[in-house]
Amino acid sequence: MSLYAVRDLAVTIGGVRLVEGLSFTVEAGQCVALVGASGSGKSLTCMTPFGLSPGVASGSAMLGGEELVGASEARRRRLRSQKAGFVFQQPLTALTPHLSIGRQLSEAAAQAGGPRPDRRALAAMLDRVGLSRPDERLDQFPHRLSGGERQRVMIAAAIAHGPGLLVADEPTSALDSVLRGEIMALLGRLRAEAGLGVLLVSHDLASVTAHADHLVVMDAGQMVESGPAARIMAAPVEPYTRRLIAATPRLSDPAPALPPVGGAALEVRDVSVSFRRPGWRRGRVQAVDGASLTIRRGEAVALVGGSGSGKSTLARAIAGIGPMDSGALAWEGRPLSAGHRRSSAERRIIQPVFQDPVASLDPHWRVADIIAEPLRHLRGDLPAKARAEKAEAALRQVGLPPELACRRPASLSGGQAQRVAIARALAAGPDMLLLDEATSALDVLAGADILTLLADLQRETGLVLLFVTHDLAAARRLCHRAAVMEAGRIVEEGAFEDLITRAAHPATRRLVGAGV
Amino acid sequence: MKAGVLPLLLVGLIALAAILLPPFLPWSHDAIDWTGLRLPPLSESHMFGTDSIGRDRLARLLVGTRISLAVALAAALVALLIGVAWGAVAGWCGGRVDEAMMRVVDGLYALPFMFVVILLMVVFGRSILLVFLGIGAVEWLTMARIVRGQVMALKERPFILAARAAGAPPHRIIVEHMLPNVAGVAIAYLLLTVPQVVMVESFLSFLGLGVQEPLTSLGILVKEGADEMDVAPLGLLLPGGVLVTVLVCLTYAGERLRDRFA
Repeated sequence: MSLYAVRDLAVTIGGVRLVEGLSFTVEAGQCVALVGASGSGKSLTCMTPFGLSPGVASGSAMLGGEELVGASEARRRRLRSQKAGFVFQQPLTALTPHLSIGRQLSEAAAQAGGPRPDRRALAAMLDRVGLSRPDERLDQFPHRLSGGERQRVMIAAAIAHGPGLLVADEPTSALDSVLRGEIMALLGRLRAEAGLGVLLVSHDLASVTAHADHLVVMDAGQMVESGPAARIMAAPVEPYTRRLIAATPRLSDPAPALPPVGGAALEVRDVSVSFRRPGWRRGRVQAVDGASLTIRRGEAVALVGGSGSGKSTLARAIAGIGPMDSGALAWEGRPLSAGHRRSSAERRIIQPVFQDPVASLDPHWRVADIIAEPLRHLRGDLPAKARAEKAEAALRQVGLPPELACRRPASLSGGQAQRVAIARALAAGPDMLLLDEATSALDVLAGADILTLLADLQRETGLVLLFVTHDLAAARRLCHRAAVMEAGRIVEEGAFEDLITRAAHPATRRLVGAGV
Repeated sequence: MKAGVLPLLLVGLIALAAILLPPFLPWSHDAIDWTGLRLPPLSESHMFGTDSIGRDRLARLLVGTRISLAVALAAALVALLIGVAWGAVAGWCGGRVDEAMMRVVDGLYALPFMFVVILLMVVFGRSILLVFLGIGAVEWLTMARIVRGQVMALKERPFILAARAAGAPPHRIIVEHMLPNVAGVAIAYLLLTVPQVVMVESFLSFLGLGVQEPLTSLGILVKEGADEMDVAPLGLLLPGGVLVTVLVCLTYAGERLRDRFA
């Protein structure tokens, strides 16, 4: 008998059938991953049988021999609390902020009906998920822990009562790539140790393939393909799966052909940025510490590092939209002033694109006005007609139909919104684009399209690109060189292929290890 | 939104009646009918009867409602203007400027507000203009705090950073990006401020500090009605009913709007 068997599952919300005909089984010690783009119904598939989504399930879902579909809420609650554990995407919001880690864990164990564990048992739970100084952590509150540590606590709470099945909904999507690898390795260890069955939901094929035994590929509520992970990765049958695999950047891909580079364009010398500590604490945090970097004409450089390494802060200082304490910037030998003092002629040179495409567009503005904004401020010398033409050209350049010009951001998909953001950055004719995690909020297919678009732009117009990211594999599709940041310093810099094969600094090795 | 329209419609009808009807009534709010003191409802030309000195209750009710609503609207607009400007500047500048500006707000909050209004009355004499200026000058504090919070949250949004990268000067970012995005919340709180001001104005008038006779307001009518409620309950019920209806409707509509935005 399987640990968890789903047969012919369908999910409807308000009479609309969103998931149909899904079947898979999870055996003890096995990891099954549901993979698909956002909106493919993978989370609904995973949560609805347990009563954790607004949907209504039909078909069959047997957990340890008991039927979940159609069971009473009381029975489902008992099955949830005793036989299954759950891990969610956002580790901060999934933990109750006013409960200490110890209380949180003992709550999780007590809800399954067992006795409240003593302190030693609680510390052992934290030790099991690889948290350092477990005894000390028991008295800390969630906000004191980092994202990766919180996710470990979530996992400890989810398995505190010894369930057979762990349901993990995008457990690593909110973490950087190094932490992603660590959390996936932890799940693998728990599977081997305790025979835990894991049902994983992810949009990121790259982060699950090495860890899942069985893949279920979903698209638009339907199962596209299902089979052993190794078989699907090596020989995908369905075209959709093939597209998905091709779109997923991996460091093992062959090196891409990149356009040639010219002389020095941007020079960054000894840039430092510090922030006041939040709240009443004294002192300052050094976010960027004496960073220097040179980027040549037509070159794409990746600025990589884990979260909190200072890469975004450095990028914002370069683009003149963030603070800069000391250091100097120069474009083709002429100094660039920092922050507020930058003139409109200087601003035109570097334009940014941000991570969250929807948040980077003003919800009240029309697409045409959004794209025209830099033109109005930076190219005031042009007549209105010429500006409208330039805005239209920018829209075409990013491959969007002109009808979109009258729409508002809320009616755009993530990929379209990011194209609009790129069109805005291109409108005033910049020499360099600064891409701050420009693909990491998009699902794999949309992200790959954006990478292709950027590569085309780079080839056709010789744009200089600075690609800020924690995802080495995605950056490699565009970039000639990479600079690795850790704790505010650039610790290693060099040609991309050299960094991958001969990383010298441990931070680089960790990033490379996470990207394979 | 559908359910939020009905209360606003009701307030609109009351306001319309208060503005349009008085000229068509046979009696004005300060005319005394010497033939009938404290007449019961539906007697001769007085639909709701007369008060203790023979003035038409309906005329006085309509004029009182008009004054109360006018004071409330004017004071709420003053609050909106000062509050949005103050909050937006504090939130945008941040740092020391923000600290200083918000400490001013905290200081004003700490003052007993009634005391301030009474002091203003004593110094500048009684006038209806002063009543709503005084009320508006105090009601803007909450608005400033709300707008500051919203602006601070918006300031870190990527589209504001993109506007800065696009070379938009600060005043245009505030006017073009910040204010439209704060407007929803600000209007919701404006709707919540109006009933508050109606309350305050009524309270001041009840104490005899607000509008002066023979002009009247809902507060004065409630006070007069309360004095004679044992002999003529209608005198209290009419203005009280209008007051409660306006307050409940505006508060309800305001809270619904606030829930949509905040």
